[in-house]
Amino acid sequence: MAGLLLSQSEKLFIVHGVQDDYRSDGRSNLDYRPMELETDLVDTATGSARLRLANTDLLVAVKTEIDVPSPDKPDLGKIEFNVDCSANATPQFEGRGGDQLAVGIANLMQAAYQSSQAFNLKQLCIFEGKQCWKLFVDILILECGGNLCDAVSLAVKAALFNTRIPCVKAILMDGGDVDLQLSDDPFDNKLLDVGTAPLLVTLCKIGDKCVVDPSAEEESCSVVSLIVGITGTPSCYSDQENLAEVGGKFSTIDMNGPGSVAPKTLKDAINQGIVAAKLLDKALAKALINERKENIRTKKSSYGFLK
Amino acid sequence: MAALNKEKLKEMGKLCIPGMRLSISNKENIAGPGTYELRGYIYATLCGTLKIEQTESEVRTVSVESPRTPSVLPKTGDVVTAKVTVVNPRMVQCSILCVGSSVLVRPYRGILKKEDIKATEKDRVDPYKCFRPGDVILARVLPMTEIHWYHISTAENELGVVIATAEGSPQGVSMVPISWSEMQCPKTLVKEPRKVARVIPENINHALFPIRDNSTKELEIEADK
Amino acid sequence: MPLDYRRFNGPEDSVSYKRFTKGYLKSYDELYKESLDDKGVRKDGRALSEARSLFARTDMVSQAKGSSYVELRKTKVVCSVFDPREIPHQNEFSQLGQIFCEVKFAPFSCPRRRRPHVPDAEEKALSVALRKALEPTVCRHMFPNYQVDVFIYILENDGSCLSAAINAAGLALADAAVPMYDVITSCTVAIVGEKMFVDPTEAEENLATISPSTPINHGIITLSMLSELKQISDFTQVGSMDVECVVKAMDILDKECARLVPLMQKVLVANVLKCFETRKRLEEEANEKEQLLNAKMDEWKKLLKFT
Repeated sequence: MAGLLLSQSEKLFIVHGVQDDYRSDGRSNLDYRPMELETDLVDTATGSARLRLANTDLLVAVKTEIDVPSPDKPDLGKIEFNVDCSANATPQFEGRGGDQLAVGIANLMQAAYQSSQAFNLKQLCIFEGKQCWKLFVDILILECGGNLCDAVSLAVKAALFNTRIPCVKAILMDGGDVDLQLSDDPFDNKLLDVGTAPLLVTLCKIGDKCVVDPSAEEESCSVVSLIVGITGTPSCYSDQENLAEVGGKFSTIDMNGPGSVAPKTLKDAINQGIVAAKLLDKALAKALINERKENIRTKKSSYGFLK
Repeated sequence: MAALNKEKLKEMGKLCIPGMRLSISNKENIAGPGTYELRGYIYATLCGTLKIEQTESEVRTVSVESPRTPSVLPKTGDVVTAKVTVVNPRMVQCSILCVGSSVLVRPYRGILKKEDIKATEKDRVDPYKCFRPGDVILARVLPMTEIHWYHISTAENELGVVIATAEGSPQGVSMVPISWSEMQCPKTLVKEPRKVARVIPENINHALFPIRDNSTKELEIEADK
Repeated sequence: MPLDYRRFNGPEDSVSYKRFTKGYLKSYDELYKESLDDKGVRKDGRALSEARSLFARTDMVSQAKGSSYVELRKTKVVCSVFDPREIPHQNEFSQLGQIFCEVKFAPFSCPRRRRPHVPDAEEKALSVALRKALEPTVCRHMFPNYQVDVFIYILENDGSCLSAAINAAGLALADAAVPMYDVITSCTVAIVGEKMFVDPTEAEENLATISPSTPINHGIITLSMLSELKQISDFTQVGSMDVECVVKAMDILDKECARLVPLMQKVLVANVLKCFETRKRLEEEANEKEQLLNAKMDEWKKLLKFT
């Protein structure tokens, strides 16, 4: 956040507000700012989403390719995250300036999606030990207004929700080669099961308490933030009633920033993170299902790609 | 092992390691180098021995002395020893070698601007008449405004050239100050202009320049002969 | 995957012969049984809550300002620390100094595969984690605009290499007389279901990363503590686990880190003693030499007077 100057008393005001669970923009410590979400905008990708959270603007596109599964995990597909911090976001990202941030976010996402309880890679398997789908999740940061991790995880989940994988039949030929047969019907495809996909929640430590979705002013009052990745609740994403209540588990926890925290603050923060993530997941599910229904009814006809 | 070293331990004093609580921090006890203050206590930041110095009446400075040269950098207000590398009409560049009495492991770059050379007649200073490359100077560190460069100042009577060799003099023969703005070579008797430091014992690194009154007298006698 | 063309990389599709052994494709249950027998004893004879014995020494690399060597049975880590130097490519004034960390695996260090010479994603992630752990420990205001270099070389990796690296870096920084707020200690725990493997080996870590078929807790947590200040300087978790599990693991790690503190202190005290001894010896030697020189001078002066 370049050019942000806060006086000591302004900072004190923010810290006191957080202490009383009432922030300077009227939110409580668990509230997010309003966001905008759009899916299915990139025709050249199998799934895409655009998310705008305050001043943070992201475009996520999923590309699918066929790959050979790694020998120690023959029945699993692959997923790879790439973050591109374009210099459009801030001039600091020019050249290799955004590399560190990009690698950090990509690693975090990779860690969050690692467990099968977070994202089941078995659904990407085509033929065990021979062929699998590989998902390339490309995250483009168009504008950088803080709280990137949360926004990235939301947009990725939305893009994966939107991803349609064509149905492929694999037959083992003589000599161990695999023959793939792709259906001619473009609508013959399957959706991914992303119910448990994790959401990242950044908890910014201000004073002794933590807030979610910090504004730039709040970020400058804090020296350390905690990022927790929490698996989603699949029952929100499907109409089936009899789904087991899973999710709400930590798939990754990481600390960011130069400061340190007391053990008790950390415990409080992770509990707070779970509550925030569940609320967020529910809201996202609602928005995504609405979007899907609308998409089926009328194909959007709009002009101007990035409105 | 502990029993073996008991005698040595006594002779070295109390050992400290980072994070060790040393004493209460109040008006009588001040945190010195190698320590920090937190919530009313003084803690150690280095491995080394505890040193408590009674500076003035009732005020004690608690510090930790490391057996290694600590990783110190010049701080604003420190007196540093530097070697002049480049002199041009606007400024003097030098490499900072020592801070106070501790030798730096790496030299750091310093800039002495024309207007920081002297306290008076700032605009009429000619750097060529104050410094030459190779001079060893004492200077004070100014607040840092630029990365990679330390700004330093010699605008005090006690700061300026300490060791300098005149042009054409043999190596190792340093000039002797004859006034606040001139130095003379004892061998060739060449006089050269310099911004001379009035060296006071506090600034001398005793290890480097041991004060030997007898030897200087001898020199003078020899010169008289 | 970028390749280093200055070195001979071998055929790209080469595989370890171990892949064709029986032990390679063991089922999850087999691996679990191997790691932990019915009596709750681990493969190397430890109890679940028992950490490996730690060997640590300072002054390993004579060229570095400070260095250390840490050994957790088969995990072997060398660390060296260098004096503050200019931050390359930095054009912004920073009030706090920076810590540059580089973690490198020896090519032969891992049991499963050969490490490439170019830093891979895991090495980069470890470097970032190490930097985050060390930042709150070092008094960074003492060297504004400069950076302290911390290099870690992992000679052999048998699990818990991040904790070993943090412990080694803490010792090396103290050895290099870089001012620090506290002694830093770190410990790792691997979680499989209800079982918590303190200070896991590579095999146990691998077991904890594999996603089990049932939705049980699994994953790895690494925590680093400043024990005197009671602060957590870094906390990283991967896998999938619920809140109770995280909190329980935190308590275990907290205790384990506290247990390491006296060990670290012992090593540092020994280091100070050694330093004083060497300094004393050097001073004595210097005195002797000076006396010899003075004697020679006297001899010469006498000769001069005679002539």
